[in-house]
Amino acid sequence: MDLVPERSASTGRIGTVPALLRRPTFVLSVLVVICWSGAALTWHRFGLNPYDNTGQVLSAPSWSHPFGTDNLGRSVFARTLAGTGSALAVGPAGAVLATVIGSVLGVISAYFRSWVDTALMRLFDVLAVLPPLIFLIVIVAAFGASSPALTVIIGVVFAPGIARIIRAAVLVEMGKKYVTSARLQGESALRIMAAELVPNVAPIIVIQATLSLSAAVLMTATLSFLGLGQQPPSPDWGLAINQNIDYIETAWWTVIFPALAVASLVVAVQLIADNIKEAWS
Amino acid sequence: MTIASPENGLPYPPELASASAGLTAPRGLGVLSERHGRALTLLGRRLIQIPLVLLAVSALTFWLVQLVPGDPGRNALGQYATAAQVHAWDVSNGLAGSVASRYLHWLGGFFSGAWGASFVYLVPSRPLILGHLANSAFLALYAFILLVPVSVLLGSVQAYREGRRTDRVITISLMTLSSVPEFVIGVLLLVAFAVGLKAFPVQSAADATGDLGQRIHATTLPAVVLAASYLAVLARMVRTGTAGAITAPFHRTAVLKGLPRSVIVRRHVMRNALIPTLQLLGIYLGGLLGGSAVVETLFNYPGLGALMVTAAERKDTVLLTDGVMVTGVLALLALLLTDVCMILLDPRIRFGNAEG
Repeated sequence: MDLVPERSASTGRIGTVPALLRRPTFVLSVLVVICWSGAALTWHRFGLNPYDNTGQVLSAPSWSHPFGTDNLGRSVFARTLAGTGSALAVGPAGAVLATVIGSVLGVISAYFRSWVDTALMRLFDVLAVLPPLIFLIVIVAAFGASSPALTVIIGVVFAPGIARIIRAAVLVEMGKKYVTSARLQGESALRIMAAELVPNVAPIIVIQATLSLSAAVLMTATLSFLGLGQQPPSPDWGLAINQNIDYIETAWWTVIFPALAVASLVVAVQLIADNIKEAWS
Repeated sequence: MTIASPENGLPYPPELASASAGLTAPRGLGVLSERHGRALTLLGRRLIQIPLVLLAVSALTFWLVQLVPGDPGRNALGQYATAAQVHAWDVSNGLAGSVASRYLHWLGGFFSGAWGASFVYLVPSRPLILGHLANSAFLALYAFILLVPVSVLLGSVQAYREGRRTDRVITISLMTLSSVPEFVIGVLLLVAFAVGLKAFPVQSAADATGDLGQRIHATTLPAVVLAASYLAVLARMVRTGTAGAITAPFHRTAVLKGLPRSVIVRRHVMRNALIPTLQLLGIYLGGLLGGSAVVETLFNYPGLGALMVTAAERKDTVLLTDGVMVTGVLALLALLLTDVCMILLDPRIRFGNAEG
C-alpha cells in the first residue's frame, strides 16, 4: 500500500529554504535577528559598560555616547546592546518550553480523545477567559519574576494556544490511512504519536514555535516595561523605557533607542514566522 | 396513554400523530420560531455555563493570589505589632483559616457587595475598582470609535482591490504595525506629538469631573495607541468577510438586477462582512473594557489595567483578586453580548454546528 501521497505535509518542506531566501523581508529579518544575537554574544568585548555612571546625566547623543546617557548617567548605547542578553534569553527559552508542552498535550489530546481531551479543552477554556496580560500579571505576582520563573510562566501560559492548533492538525491526520495501518501493525501508541503523527504535523509545530517566539519576546519586554519583569539595574529594554519614561520631554533618546530595539527584534521574528507560514501553505 | 380512544378521536397513537405533524414540516414563520427556540437554547446554555466558568476562574485566581509572598497583616500594622494583633487583623480582614474557608468567605463577600479594603490605597476596593473601570471604559469607547470606521474602510478597500498593489501595501503595513509593541507605538507618538509638536499632554491622567472636551483631548494619544493595536486583526476580518460577500452568488444577482451600488453595499455586503468582525470584537471587548495595562501605564492613565499592575507590584492581594474577577465577569458578559448580537444579525446561525 503506497502511503507516500498521504504525507502531503512533508512534501511542502522540499525547496522551502530556497523559496524563503528569495523573500526580501525574510532575509532582512533573519539578518536583524543575527545582528542582535551577535550583539548579545560579543558586546562585553568592546569595553562597553552598561552599569557605570559616566558623569553626565541625561546628555544628548554625541560622539562619545552615540545614544546619549540616561537618568543615572549610564550610556544608553552600552545599555541597549547589553539589553539583548535578557531579550534573547527568557523569551526564546519560554517559547521552546511552550512549544514542547503544547505539542505534547495537543498530540495526546487528539490521539486519545475521550475524557483526556474533554478535560484539557475545558481547562483551556477556563484559562482563556481572562485577558492574557491580566492572567500573566497575576501569575507573575504569585511566582515572582526571576528569569527561570518567567521562562516557566511563559511556557505554561502560551502552551494552551499551541496545544489547540496542534490538536486540530492531529485530528485531521488521525483520519488518514497511515495511522490505521500503523495500528494494525501493532505499533504502540507512543510510537504512533512520536514516529508517525509528529513528523506529519512538524511544519505546523515549527510555525507555532516561531509565532510564539515573537509573542514571548514581546511579553517579556511588556512585563519588564510594566515593572513586573527584570528588575534594576538590568539593562533590559522594557525596563529602560519604564525607568526613563518620566524624562521623555527633556531626554527622548533614553526611551527611543530601547523602544526601537524591542520593535526591530519583535517585528523581525514575527516576519520570519509569517514568511515560513506563507512558504509552507 | 398511547392507546387510541374513541373520545379524542385519534385513529393512531399520539406519538405517531406528532411524528406525521413533523413530516409536514411547518414552513415560513414556523421555521422561524424553531430557530428562535434554538437561539434561546444557546442563550440558556450560556447562562448556565457562565456562572460555572466564573466559579472556576475565581477559584484559580484566588489560589494564585494566595501564593503572592508577603504578610499583609504585618505590613498594615507595622513591625511593632504583636503576633496576636496581627492575627486579630487577619481574622477581621478574612485572611485567617484555610484557603478553602477564606475562598468561600471572599466569594460570599464578592457577590454580596462586601469586597474588602485595599491594603495599599486604604480604601474599600469596590469604589476604587469601579471608578478605574469607568475610566477604562471611557478610553475603550474612544478607541472603539476610532477603530471601527478605519478598519471597516481599510478592510473593504482591500477586499474590492483584492490581489492588487493597494491590497498588498495595506496588508504589509498593517502586519508590521500589528507586530510593533504597544508601548513602542506609544513612545513614538509621545515623542512626535507630545514632546515635538506639543499638540497633546504627555500625561493623560483623566479627571472625570473635568471638562469633557479637555478629557477627550487628553485621552486622544492613548486611544490611538489602543486602536492601533487592534486595527490589523479587525481590518483583516473585514477584508475576509467582504471578499466572501463580493464573490457570493447573491452579490452577482444584486448587481445584475440593477440595484444601486449604495444599496448593494449597505444591504448585501456590509451585513455579511460584519458578522465575523462582530464575533472577533466580542472576544476583544472584554479585554478592551478591562483596560489595557500597557497603554494605561505608559500614559499614566487611571484605568483598571494600570490599577491591576500596581496591585501586583505592591502585593495588594484583595485589590488584585477583586479586580481580576471584575475583568473575568466583563470578558464573559462581552461574549454573551456577542452571542445576542449574532442572533439578531444572522438568522442562519446553526448553533448546534458552531459549537465544536
